[in-house]
Amino acid sequence: MIGELYACVHAAEFPAQALLRLRTDLQSQPVAVLDGPVSQETICSLNRHAVRRGAALGMTKLEAEGLYGLRLLPRSTEVETAANTVFLECAAMFSPRIEEVSEGTACALALDIAGTERLFGPSEKLSVRLRDEMATAGFRASIAVSANFHAARMKATAARGITIIAAGEEARSLEKLHISALNLTDEHKETFALWGIRTLGELAALPEVELVKRLGAAASNWRALAHGVARHTFQPIEPEFALKEFYDFETPVEQMDSLLFIGARMIDCLVARAAGRALSLASLTVDMELEGGRVHHLVIRPAVPSIDRKFLLKLLQLEIGAHPPQSAVVSLTLSAEAGQSSKVQLGLFAPQMPEPSRLDVTLARLKAIVGEDRVGSPVLEDTHRPGSFCMEGFVVGAKSSGSKAERSRMALRRVRPPRPVRVATHVMKPVAFSDGGSRFEIEAAYGPWKTSGFWWSLDGWDTEEWDALAVSNNGEKFGCLLVLDRLRNEWRLEAFYD
Amino acid sequence: MPSAAALRLEIERTMEHRFPAALTPVPKTIREVVQTGIASVDALLEGGLPVGAISEVIGPESSGRTSLTLAFLAKRTEAEQVCAWVDAGDTFDPESAAASGVSLKQLLWVRCRREREMIKVKPWTRLDQALRATDLLLQAGGFAAIVLDLGDMEPEHAMRIPLATWFRFRQAADRNRCSLVVLGKTAYAQSGAEVVLESMPFSPEIVGGTVWRGCMFAVGRKRQRFTQFSAGVRKPPASTWSADAAWEPGRSA
Repeated sequence: MIGELYACVHAAEFPAQALLRLRTDLQSQPVAVLDGPVSQETICSLNRHAVRRGAALGMTKLEAEGLYGLRLLPRSTEVETAANTVFLECAAMFSPRIEEVSEGTACALALDIAGTERLFGPSEKLSVRLRDEMATAGFRASIAVSANFHAARMKATAARGITIIAAGEEARSLEKLHISALNLTDEHKETFALWGIRTLGELAALPEVELVKRLGAAASNWRALAHGVARHTFQPIEPEFALKEFYDFETPVEQMDSLLFIGARMIDCLVARAAGRALSLASLTVDMELEGGRVHHLVIRPAVPSIDRKFLLKLLQLEIGAHPPQSAVVSLTLSAEAGQSSKVQLGLFAPQMPEPSRLDVTLARLKAIVGEDRVGSPVLEDTHRPGSFCMEGFVVGAKSSGSKAERSRMALRRVRPPRPVRVATHVMKPVAFSDGGSRFEIEAAYGPWKTSGFWWSLDGWDTEEWDALAVSNNGEKFGCLLVLDRLRNEWRLEAFYD
Repeated sequence: MPSAAALRLEIERTMEHRFPAALTPVPKTIREVVQTGIASVDALLEGGLPVGAISEVIGPESSGRTSLTLAFLAKRTEAEQVCAWVDAGDTFDPESAAASGVSLKQLLWVRCRREREMIKVKPWTRLDQALRATDLLLQAGGFAAIVLDLGDMEPEHAMRIPLATWFRFRQAADRNRCSLVVLGKTAYAQSGAEVVLESMPFSPEIVGGTVWRGCMFAVGRKRQRFTQFSAGVRKPPASTWSADAAWEPGRSA
């Protein structure tokens, strides 16, 4: 039978860590997080650089502003929720059974790691990997491993770094912890202070019966906690897998570089989380809250799901470049849809094809040059209207749609938009035309080929087409398509034969 | 008696100061080519248009440049390969392409925007857009053929494209095994092009005085690198080919 074994991971000052994990530029600066109603804001969380500058929890905003170099950030519950999800995701990579044991402004999780030795090795190795994973996600966390749930929890809260408590050594490991680790009421804290009991080791040394007589039944549990033998019924939570990152800017951001700086970090985190589950990002949804309350919504869909961060960042850059927000951005949310990682096996004799991910970037760049609706594959519409088509996204690997032509065909070169021309006719047949500047004699005209449709709607057409062999003033011959629009009674030069 | 090899070596050594390797045949550069789908043009080009190089199809309007290029693209898409058409003048006609047998799903069409339409996008000229788009597609790789359609571009504008741009295109095409076909009124790539085909004005085929049934085009080889020198030929080789109208039912080739 496998014995109990728990790893508790504790991230202190979580509001500050949540804000700083996406801001690598602020991580080496003193930062404090303010919370509370306006004009009564106090420091609720801070990093160690801020502590060195003299900042402390509960300090008012006015006092904090007096400290040189201290950056003050407002607390953001959305950022903390997103960070909490990421924290949970990281922990879930090591055990499916997780219980949340957060207290105050810290975020703490207890992982049931019994039986994971064959996967992750001994507790020391698992702890190091867990710490590294947390660090990659941007969290600084302390970790304690013990066979007793409460011993791991209390040790992780009190100690920094990694602590491994050997079986049977719980009491000795906890003896130096302050008695406040037991979550006592103020009355009991005062009583213990009067007795001169400051550490768990001193509490554990007290006789149980006399302790219970004086402080009631709860004292027995405290003593068991101090000994590291208290029992616990594990209550696992089920982490919901949602690929979402949120960042609330201190001040509205107008420059794309600043957005991409944060966006890159967000993509890193999303990619790492998706890769942890052997998944890729199939689509990326960008929601930018703008000044004035409007939301700018963008969706990026790579041709194949990808975890290539450079590629995704490039797509993000091109998409924002093509559809820039109309005003400054207040907050940025990136949510991703997970997809199966695609593997493309290219054969030695396979036809040459563009690489899907590279093609995505190329298409986005082309759209940035010529416009969104002007790049793609043409699709002929199911209508008799001449020259009607629509554009569809270009997809590599689409099945061949063309019918094999046995002989070569004369091609048209369209004039877009059709050029209005003045046509001279003789016996209902065009004999010459001019486009404003030049006059062309028509040697022969073949037609008319009449087409009409949609007569019941405003979109209708009724045309006569003439295939004309024309000669310019300098003697150059060419074939063209002249069209008489019978609804508007005007002639147009629609195309040249080439 | 000296052997033939020794004799040849002796002659070559004697004439070395005037002709290096006088009796050794010059090594022939064999380029990979693909058929254009028009037998007479393939015969003229000794196989077809080259792969990994620039080919130019030049001529005035109604000389069959576009029809010839579409026939070539139809061959490429028939082989399950993808192609691109960079349309500087926005003149490409999808119906003609489909009638020529081009699989439109395997064709990427880049329609350059007129300057006056470019309010939101960058204010580049159509020629600029076309060159940038071609550059991007060549660098991306994977396209069997890319057509740079400068057919409506005035030569005085297109002639300003620097020679360095064509050399860069040639190198990228060579690297990616892509056939870059440039459609134009005159030759622009100069020494950057491996093949220059000049299309001549057409003669129409008329039936019964009412229906335009097809065209007869003439095409000449104006330039071809790595071709075998033949002493008897004075004039550049030329040929003719015909194309049916789109409404004409298929005839046996």
